[in-house]
Amino acid sequence: MVTNLKTRFSSYLNQTSSPAALVVFRMMFGLLMFLSLLRFWLKGWIHQLYIAPKHHFSYYGFEWVQPLGQYTYLLFLVGMIAALFIGIGLYYRWAALLFFLSFTYIELMDKTTYLNHYYFISLLSFLLIFLPANAYFSIDAWRKPSLNSSKIPSWCTDSIKLMVIILYFFAGLAKLNSDWLFLALPMKIWLPAKNDLPLIGNLLNETWVAYLFSWIGCIYDLSIGFLLLYTPTRKLAYTSVIVFHLLTSILFPIGMFPYIMIGTALIFFSQDFHLRIIHKIGGIMHASSSFLNPQRSFSYSNNLNSLFIGLLILFFTIQILLPFRYLLYPGELFWTEEGYRFSWRVMLMEKMGSATFLAKGENGEIKEVDNKEFLTPQQEKMMATQPDMILEFAHILQNHFEKTGIENPQIYVDSYVSLNGRIGKALIDPKIDLSEEKESFAPKNWILKFEDEIKGF
Amino acid sequence: MNYGKYPIILFLLTLLFGCVDSTEDQDIPEENSDRKEMLKFWVEEMIIPSYSEFEQDLQNMVISADQFVNNPTESNLQALRNTWVQAYVSWQHVELFEVGPAEKYTLRNFYNIYPTNVSGIETNISSSTLNLNLPSTYDQQGFPALDYLINGVAEEDIKILEFYTDSEKGENRRAYLNTLVTRMELLLNQVTSDWNGPAKEEFISKTGLDIGSSTASMVNAYVLYYERHVRSGKFGIPSGATLASSGTPNPEKIEAYYKQDISLLLAKTAHQAFTDFFNGNANGKQGPSLKTYLVAIGAKDPSTGILLSEYITEQLAVISNLLNGLSENLYQQIITDNDSMIQVYQEMQKAVRILKVDMTSAMSITITYTDNDGD
Repeated sequence: MVTNLKTRFSSYLNQTSSPAALVVFRMMFGLLMFLSLLRFWLKGWIHQLYIAPKHHFSYYGFEWVQPLGQYTYLLFLVGMIAALFIGIGLYYRWAALLFFLSFTYIELMDKTTYLNHYYFISLLSFLLIFLPANAYFSIDAWRKPSLNSSKIPSWCTDSIKLMVIILYFFAGLAKLNSDWLFLALPMKIWLPAKNDLPLIGNLLNETWVAYLFSWIGCIYDLSIGFLLLYTPTRKLAYTSVIVFHLLTSILFPIGMFPYIMIGTALIFFSQDFHLRIIHKIGGIMHASSSFLNPQRSFSYSNNLNSLFIGLLILFFTIQILLPFRYLLYPGELFWTEEGYRFSWRVMLMEKMGSATFLAKGENGEIKEVDNKEFLTPQQEKMMATQPDMILEFAHILQNHFEKTGIENPQIYVDSYVSLNGRIGKALIDPKIDLSEEKESFAPKNWILKFEDEIKGF
Repeated sequence: MNYGKYPIILFLLTLLFGCVDSTEDQDIPEENSDRKEMLKFWVEEMIIPSYSEFEQDLQNMVISADQFVNNPTESNLQALRNTWVQAYVSWQHVELFEVGPAEKYTLRNFYNIYPTNVSGIETNISSSTLNLNLPSTYDQQGFPALDYLINGVAEEDIKILEFYTDSEKGENRRAYLNTLVTRMELLLNQVTSDWNGPAKEEFISKTGLDIGSSTASMVNAYVLYYERHVRSGKFGIPSGATLASSGTPNPEKIEAYYKQDISLLLAKTAHQAFTDFFNGNANGKQGPSLKTYLVAIGAKDPSTGILLSEYITEQLAVISNLLNGLSENLYQQIITDNDSMIQVYQEMQKAVRILKVDMTSAMSITITYTDNDGD
């Protein structure tokens, strides 16, 4: 049985297929990433999120990743140029590496801007570094005809598909909880907020619509990856991808994400489908027939092939395990958020809070902190509901007060958080001096109990 | 309404045609969650009428101030004091509406920043280049400055009158009083004429809950008002309950410090106006409000089943009851029994949290937005 699986796996690894799907994905990805970064720039968010704030929230272990002042614009420019180079397939691997590094650096600069879809883009661009997405219909292949191929290993295209399936499936799994399924929360809170939309507005007031959205959303996420994979259901599945993501784009402020997913899901379509797209674009550009119909088969050297495959197996193992790390922590995940990020928990809860910090000096002086003096409204909003950020802010304050003449300041927080409509209560033990607590992966025992249960994943 | 999304919705409806049951749904909720109706009621039955009433009271104050300035007698002083009290009380009915025009002209800054700055006022009186638009002059004008000028320049009325009849400085002092009053009238005029102009329709038409929408702006202004200007301004700072004052009572920082015996009346009126707005109570007329909206969207704690609207109403009632037990002179109250003041502050703090976190969360409104993607 095991040997059987082994031989089947190794014969799978030897399978080849047309690079067309990966190439179309490459072009789409490059273009959309360029547009995303441009949009970010034009909206003034580079300044607002990375330059204007006085302090930034770092990921544990990545404290050295800080915004670069005015050079942050340069960082975005590098990312945009790299995205274009990915799109046209010029110096492709360097471009992919550069895009991955610049984009990931941007995302690591401030934790309060974390979005699952940014994480998804980092992961996709990481995968692209190892995939031969320039082996066909790229400037690289045009400049170096020996690269131009009609076949690449199938696992190359499939690794993108697997990433998409993981994203959807875990997003669906996360929705299998009692609040989502049996209370229609947070849909019941979010939908009436859009009841002034034309035509569908009134429907959004109805409780049954909130339940319908919750259940359909859950079933959609759990199944869509597989329905896209399976040829007979693919067209219908793709139609629902369009409907689902356009609907979310109307209802929620999620920027480019719907369009990225609509574009990415195309990768599940057949070779012929993608070849037709490429031939159409090639026709417009008057590309030669030999360029559009290469004869060679692309393969990595044996060593490189084993290295990349080993790397991808490790990568996907981590991807599959990471969303379950929350099981290592006590308490309610939605409340403590220990193990919440990097797990495809997308638009899953309505959480709002306020946190008032006190600094106490050795000589008995007490200062109430005006958060706005230190943080932007966006940072304050994110910080108020997430314990790791509350701790980080406490340390920022500790530093500040040490410098301004309070010796050994103790930092306390008076927090109040509401989760999915539950009347708010304290999230952090107000008697704990946060200046004494250190950030780590260990459970934070100064987070107060949720005192309610949300059953499920 | 967001018509930019119209094509996408039409497209989606076409795709979904046949899937969605389009039969008439008879399940009409008891309360209405139509924000347009709520906005209409707010502006037409609450905001504009409250401003008209205030305008009337302010007008009376302007007239008596004019009489006093032209003829500074004891009876004219008394008349001015009376109309000042009436206008100040009436102001408590509109101070919470710092949205739209009032926000544009930052009316509160020019009307009710206290404690007033006595030395600033003295300087202004003898200054020939007075610019009361400067932020540094906020505490040298409005009701608190008038409080000083008609109640606080001296102990006895005779001395107060002498302040204005002084052969050397009297004229300048009367002129300053006149400047303040005319200025208030002018600023209010801008606000009310804006409200009666295009601002009204604009307010009603912005039915969303995103940045700049009327409901979100109103709720933001409403909660900020209660937090900073009722909780902290009227109770927290004077009683020393806020940590910023590190526990030291500052009774001289109460509202209407020189008149003193109306300080509780002002606070009660403000709290009542705040409560009435929540309940949609406009001079006995009942309309769509934050309360009915919360009921309509079914806002309740999923674990305890407590209705959020009831929870808020109860907390506001707790505060009303505490206010009823205070002395009409909050200065005296702080001197004799500051604990009661601190207790009011603490209950108001609870109300602030419920409004700021629970209510805005239930309504999908964020307090102080930045526009950015979510996921």
